[in-house]
Amino acid sequence: MGMIGQHLLNGLMQGTIYGLVAMGFTIFFGVMNVIKFSHGDVLTLGAFGGLVAVWAANALGLSVPLQFIVALCVAMALTAVVGAGISHFLIMPLRNAPPLNMLLMTMMVGTAIREAIRLFFPNGTNPQRFPELLPAGGFNIGPSFFRTDAIILIIAGAASIGAVYWIINHSKFGLAMRAVAEDTETARVMGINFGRIIPLTFALGSITAGFAGMIYALYYSEINYSMGLLLAVIGFTAAIVGGLGNIWGAIIGGYLFAGLQTFVVAAMPSMSDYKNVFAFVLIIVLITWRPTGLLAERGSERV
Amino acid sequence: MSGHLTVENIFTAYDRADVLSGISIDVQPGKITCILGSNGAGKSTLIRSILRLTPPRAGSIAFEGKTLDQMATHEIVGLGIACIPEGRRIFAKMTVEENLRVGAYLVNAEKTVKARLGKVYEVFPRLKERAKQLAGTMSGGEQAMVSIGRGMMTDPKLLIIDEPSLGLSPLFVQENFNIVRRLNETGVTVLLVEQNVNQTLAIAHYGYVLSQGKIIVQGDSEMLAKNEEVQSAYFGGAH
Repeated sequence: MGMIGQHLLNGLMQGTIYGLVAMGFTIFFGVMNVIKFSHGDVLTLGAFGGLVAVWAANALGLSVPLQFIVALCVAMALTAVVGAGISHFLIMPLRNAPPLNMLLMTMMVGTAIREAIRLFFPNGTNPQRFPELLPAGGFNIGPSFFRTDAIILIIAGAASIGAVYWIINHSKFGLAMRAVAEDTETARVMGINFGRIIPLTFALGSITAGFAGMIYALYYSEINYSMGLLLAVIGFTAAIVGGLGNIWGAIIGGYLFAGLQTFVVAAMPSMSDYKNVFAFVLIIVLITWRPTGLLAERGSERV
Repeated sequence: MSGHLTVENIFTAYDRADVLSGISIDVQPGKITCILGSNGAGKSTLIRSILRLTPPRAGSIAFEGKTLDQMATHEIVGLGIACIPEGRRIFAKMTVEENLRVGAYLVNAEKTVKARLGKVYEVFPRLKERAKQLAGTMSGGEQAMVSIGRGMMTDPKLLIIDEPSLGLSPLFVQENFNIVRRLNETGVTVLLVEQNVNQTLAIAHYGYVLSQGKIIVQGDSEMLAKNEEVQSAYFGGAH
């Protein structure tokens, strides 16, 4: 039973990552009705950007906490710029095209990013070790062992989810974002420059991916060029299960998926390699039962 | 008095067919100018042209002597032109107060926003009671208040109102028109686009009658009220 704490921590960790990724999907869908399949690869890009930043900061002789801050800032800035760029140069021009064209375009962008990392990053085909930047060690509560870095990351992840939620629902930018999401034309008539709000919205959604990528990198101490693929599928699943377009739904969906995975691992340790198979099967059952997602009908939180 | 809008010989088309062909209007500062016309005459297209949601393919529009011809919609709104759109178009998933705040999007000072909110709540006390309610859950009449209040939040020099009577009971239409008149008395120039001839002419100073994309009659509202072409424009007369 000493594993319970570990499972709980692991589940929370993964749920935070999934929730962050799912929030991005939901934000993009809410504001532009687009499923942005390059989202996972933007996450990968953020993690690799963070890695390069750590190397550079290390070469400059910065202390470990500074390396951490630099890496985080670079990952977030890089994903913000790439996300805004994708929306401004690729998604906006296609906004009146059939949805399938848009979908195809984002898949191609994602593939291009992924392959570029594989080909141009030194030794990019193989997994890269990500330096440990957070305090090592941990502590016991009863029989359970808790990693300090995991706790820091979960708190940071939950705080960033809260921050994004606050921005959407309580800031002026969030107000403009929701107005554009609900009725772009009326939003424009109210003086909102949607040509600026849309890239900023994509920047926000992509920053959450960059943040998720950094959490992943710091927790698992290893990244690879295709890490975004599975995370995107899981994040997208979480967003759909929660009811696409609903921020709370995305967060709940993320933790739900992680909960299912963790349950499989905890209940059947010998089957832990199959955790995704079980989790997806359970999600398929869930979607069959609630085809529009768990929270879709309430819909008031859509952005 | 500010809020002078001039539209000069504009042509506007969706795809290829012209919906407006050679429209010129002059919205005098401080006055209520109305555009009358039946369904499909091009009234909404005229508004879309002014706001450049559907930019005209020819002709010129100026506000207070400044040309709007290269501007984006949000820049035009920034000059002091607000619009209460047809069908209210409130943000259903936002609260009443959030809807009103979107109207004051271009205002940065929270103090100013608060002051304007206060003014709107004075005109529509019911909106104050319902400030935290989702706008989509309100009645049609209340949504109309939200839409008008949102337009007031912009504190415009020129207020464009598209078919405010649509889908409202006659009593409510009268109430809204009274509000429009009072806004005008505080110095707001109004461009009122309507199908409802009699109630509109009762509050407007000057009017244009639009039919099949052209102005067929214009004049003082007293004159238009007696004009036969105005009547025929509505009852399908040939021109």
